[in-house]
Amino acid sequence: MRNLLNFIVRYSAWILFIIYVVVSCILLFNSNPYQHHIYLTSANAMSAAVYGATNNVTSYFHLRDINEDLQRRNADLEMEVLALKHQISRYREMAYADTMSVDSAMMRYSFIIATVINNSVNRPFNYITIEKGELDGVKPEMGVVDQNGVVGIVNIVGPHTARVISLLNSHLRLSCKVKGHDQVGSLVWDGKSPSEAILEELPRHAVYAPGDTIVTSGYSTVFPEGVPVGVVRHSMKDHDENFVALRVDLFTDFTTLSTVRLIRDSLKEELMEVEQTID
Amino acid sequence: MTKLALQFILLTLILVLAQVIVFNHVCLFNVAVPFAFIYILLRLPVTLSINWVLTIGFFLGLVVDIFSDTQGMNALACTILAALRRSALRLYFPREEDLTDPCPSIHSLGFGIYLKYAVTATLIFCILIFLIASFSLFNPLMLLLRIVCSTLLTTLLLICIDIITPNKA
Repeated sequence: MRNLLNFIVRYSAWILFIIYVVVSCILLFNSNPYQHHIYLTSANAMSAAVYGATNNVTSYFHLRDINEDLQRRNADLEMEVLALKHQISRYREMAYADTMSVDSAMMRYSFIIATVINNSVNRPFNYITIEKGELDGVKPEMGVVDQNGVVGIVNIVGPHTARVISLLNSHLRLSCKVKGHDQVGSLVWDGKSPSEAILEELPRHAVYAPGDTIVTSGYSTVFPEGVPVGVVRHSMKDHDENFVALRVDLFTDFTTLSTVRLIRDSLKEELMEVEQTID
Repeated sequence: MTKLALQFILLTLILVLAQVIVFNHVCLFNVAVPFAFIYILLRLPVTLSINWVLTIGFFLGLVVDIFSDTQGMNALACTILAALRRSALRLYFPREEDLTDPCPSIHSLGFGIYLKYAVTATLIFCILIFLIASFSLFNPLMLLLRIVCSTLLTTLLLICIDIITPNKA
């Protein structure tokens, strides 16, 4: 026993050395990273605190580079968003065209699907810009509708874009009637609310009730007959004794316009020709 | 004695922090890595028992390992360096009893001898570290280049540290 103790004391340096080397090698060759003890990795509280404190300072050093990277990344993502948006709008247009009900009376008309790229509702004379133009077959004086009802009339056409006079524009007067009756009035926006308009110049003998649907009259080539516009809220006094005016709640939500249809009338030229010969 | 111990503890703290915060992230030209913390092993008094030197070496390496996530690599290299340190010093300075200061430094050894001592110790450490590190990926030319460049850089750093470290405890 004493010899053993003597031996240990005498060769303590060697024993210690061997122990340390063996421990180091065990750590070194324990190659499975999941078996590493938390205290022996940089994830322990002490080194985390040190690195956290360091990072508080050093994180400022690379801000310029990081900023640049982020800007670049941001630009990339923005491009991607635009591309995807474009794709989505294309698919939406396709789906829209598929689900559109085309009844036999409408065969005279065909549609051009367009995306609204600019729209206003709060000015006295509102206009809408759409992403289709002359090259897509858009012509001035085409009627514009969306899934709910009338939107407006095309007014200026560029090669790829067109401007639409919104129904929310006092310059626009639209010939309308109460559905199921033939007395025609003129729909005009009074500039108060984007969800309301006034149907004026309706003959006194016209039959109506609050809740009746107002549709287009079809007296022009702009809109076919029967395109929904809104519902009657209440009647009001017109400036002429022989007529009545109706306050109309519009179907179309002008604040959220996204995709619209342009109505193309295949008989338009023919009708205009006929009308001119009559003159 | 206590003052000397305190000085060493402070020096260890500073050098380990400097190593893990700054020097671990330095890799000049992708070949030269500075190992500042081995200065502690070089400076330990020659009168200190070999058991203490080994223990300090092992734990010094272990702490650096923990911070840099190199399991046991620095611990092994430091333990071996701690064992060989005295022999390296004896190569150039055979009569230890002539030392004015038990801590090897430029002040106590003279610049020439200290430089040789530092280069030898650093070379041992770098050979060990890079050999251990290259167990998985062996590229002899790169290994040699790394050992030589890291030795030069580390020696330069050790000389600088020695100059700015106060000599008289």
